[in-house]
This record gives sequence, C-alpha cells and structure tokens, in this order.
Amino acid sequence: MIRRARPSALASLLLLLALLAPAWSTARQYLQLFVSEPYLELHTGPGRGYPVFHAVPRDESVDVLFRRTDWFKVRTERGVEGWASLKDMQKMVLADGTRFHFDLGDRAGFTDHRFEAGIFAGAYGGASLVSGYASFSFNRQLALEGAVGSFYGRYSNGYTGDIGLAHVLLPESRWSPFFTLGIGEVYTEPKATLVQASNRSEATAYVGGGIRFYLTRRFFLRAEYKAHWIFTKRNQNEEADEWKAGFAFFF
Amino acid sequence: MESRIRILLLTAVLAALTGCASVRSWFHHRPASTASADQAADQNAPPPKVIEPEVSRRTVKVPRIRSSNFELGADYGVISIEDFGTHPSYGFTLAYHITEDFFFQGEWGRTRAGQTSFETLSGIQLLTESERRFTYYDLSVGYNFLPGEAFIGRGIALTSAFYFLGGVGGTDFGGDTKFTVNFGAGYRVVPVDWLALHVTLQDRVFQSSLLGTTKLTNNLEARIGTTVFF
Repeated sequence: MIRRARPSALASLLLLLALLAPAWSTARQYLQLFVSEPYLELHTGPGRGYPVFHAVPRDESVDVLFRRTDWFKVRTERGVEGWASLKDMQKMVLADGTRFHFDLGDRAGFTDHRFEAGIFAGAYGGASLVSGYASFSFNRQLALEGAVGSFYGRYSNGYTGDIGLAHVLLPESRWSPFFTLGIGEVYTEPKATLVQASNRSEATAYVGGGIRFYLTRRFFLRAEYKAHWIFTKRNQNEEADEWKAGFAFFF
Repeated sequence: MESRIRILLLTAVLAALTGCASVRSWFHHRPASTASADQAADQNAPPPKVIEPEVSRRTVKVPRIRSSNFELGADYGVISIEDFGTHPSYGFTLAYHITEDFFFQGEWGRTRAGQTSFETLSGIQLLTESERRFTYYDLSVGYNFLPGEAFIGRGIALTSAFYFLGGVGGTDFGGDTKFTVNFGAGYRVVPVDWLALHVTLQDRVFQSSLLGTTKLTNNLEARIGTTVFF
C-alpha cells in the first residue's frame, strides 16, 4: 500500500528548498590573475587554430571562468571574454605575486596515484573484445583492479568481469611492467545455430602481465595479456587467452 | 741632485717593503692578527636590532576552476543498413575531450531495418519484428582537425572544427551481436560555450551472414545532433 505524502512534509521540503536556493544562486567566485608578460593573447576558441582577437596588456587582470582541455576561458577587466592557453596562463601571477600553477598531471603522478581507468580493444579466446577497467592503488606497486568486457565471436558472444590484484614492477619508469592475478566470471551466449545452445555463466581465474607506457599529462597506454581458466560444469575446464591494448588515465 | 737620489732610494725602499708584505703568504705563514680577533668578536655579538615591518602577507585562496570537458547529446539521422534499406535513426553520444586535438566518444543508436528485396518479392520473412531492431554502441577516438570559424553574415563568427572518428563496438541485429568497427567524420559548430551542433557521417562495418553468405557489411549513417558541454 502506498501512503500519500502528508502536505506538511511537502511544505517543509519546499521551505528547505527555498532556504537553500540563495546558496545556489550566489555569484561564483572566479580566480583573478595578473598579466606579468608584455601581453596575454586571447583566442576565439579553445585551440591553437582559432584566431587571436584580443591582447591583454601587462599588469591588467583577468577572471578565470572555466577550463576546457588545456584552454581557459577568461574575462578581462573591460569585459572581453576569450580563451587563453595553459602555457600562457602559467606565466601569469596571482594577486600575492606568486606564479599561477595548474596541475594537469605529470610523470610523478604516473608513478604515484590513487585511481586509474582505461578502455581497450583486443581478443578473448579468439573473439573480438571491447573492455574497460578501473583500479585503486594501495601504494606505488600494489593495486586492486576490476575489468569488464564484451566479446563477439564466431560461435558465441558474451561478457566478462574480473577482479584482482596488480603488481607494478618499475613504477618510476616510463615503461613499467606489471603482473596481475585474480578471479572473475564469464557469461557466454552461444550462437543459436549450435547444438546444446544455452546461455551459461561460469567462474574464472586468471594470471597475466602487461606493460604501461606514460604518454603525457594524465594519460598512458596499457597493453596486457591474461590467461583465463574457466571452471565449467562439464568434464573439462576451458582455457581462454585475452590480449588487449588501449588508452588509460590516472587521477 | 742629492734630494733626487734620496727620493729614488726612498721609492726603492717603499717598493721593497710593500713587496715584503706578500712574503708571508709565500710560506703559508699567517699569524693571527689582533684585527681579525676583533672581527670574530663582532660576529659573535648579537646582531643589531632591525625594525620589523608589521605587514601581514597577503594570501590568495585559489578557487577551484570549473572544467567543461564532457559533451553529452542526442542526434537524429538516417542509416543505410546493407540489404535492408535506409531508415531513420536516433542516438545519444557522450564525449570526453582529452586535449584540444583528441577526444573519446561513446555512442548508442537505434533504428528499425526494413525488408530486403528478396523478402519484398517472395513474401518470405527472413527476420522477426524484434530481430529487425538495429542497435549499435561503440567507443571511438576523435581527432579535431581544421579548427576555424563559421561566419553568418558580417557580424557573427562561430567557432567550428572538422573531426575524424574511429572506434570499435557492437551491433545487435538479426538476433545476433556483431563486433563492429566504425569510422567517419563530422563537423561541429559551437554557437555558445556550452552548446554545439554536429553533422556526422559514419560507417559501421561488421560481418553478416544473414543472407546466406558471410560478408562484410557497410552501414552508412548520416546524422545531425546537438550536444551540451559540462
């Protein structure tokens, strides 16, 4: 039985919303930066290909409105709005005279970070695979990883899900190898034309290894291999090799 | 004359004496002088009192700079399913801009396939109604090239860019899910910072054996869409 909400409860909720509304509508505080170089160039769009249409002279300030990739939308004292590159922005100073710094990730972050995620394309037991993963690092070398994938084969399609540990061997290196170990589940949908075709879900265990290569900022390439053992309900267990490579980022 | 000789001799003596002053350093003989002892005493003494300015240093609290790298949108267009005719399609996209050049994009779209010419002529249905539903989903990488501006009249310039797309995914069609490779190109116009309009042309290629033989099918899609940056 569904009970109707009492009008008083609804009224108090509305009152709460009305009280909170001014907090949401307060004017946003923007970061103010001062031009310390001879001038700051403003582009019409967030990219080097968009034309420069305005120059802010030295000692004038700009308000930083928001960021898109490496570009910042700024508003000058005269109300002109345009896009400034991160490279130019890092030559500006704050009101206390210190240089503006913006962290977009670096090699030190690649070595030491908490979370990472990525997407891959590859092969799973001879089928084409699309997958993604996310990981949480306990320290520089040990991480807990989870991965999900979807594979499309000649005889069957399906999904995979894994959880396990990864050990990074050379976290400081640009090329850092790693080993993985874990368990998972595979859901297989055999093609309808096969005899005894029934969808099945089976437990798996895997061991693997791979390599990470730091690209730039927060991005790296990751390629890996996993050897899966699939514990079937039939007489024999199955094995499946998984090869994949893709993009990943840390944060 | 005599006074001249005297001046000459005195000059020679002076020169010799000043020269002798450097002799001590020749043999590394450095007797501690009373003057240096005084200097040492001065150094040990507490420094003279300096007036300290009572100015508190200004500290700037840096507010968080909002980022706007995601792009979410809906689109509508037509897709030509190989052998099954051209039909209207709709879909959704979610993109993340990594740099000014590259972005990731996830796509989902749906259409309903028509009849093959064989079905039309013979009256035999190859697929059921639910099997005619054509759904694609994929992950692509995009590359922005030719960034520039689109002009409307004399006063309005909108930032724009052409982009390439390429990726992998799956297509549900004819009672089966097929691994699908997609590639294409698009044009994006950004009238205001948070809104973009797209025109995209994309080909989705997958292996199909619905009509007896296994072959690669090309499924071209043309669509227009609108996205919101956040």
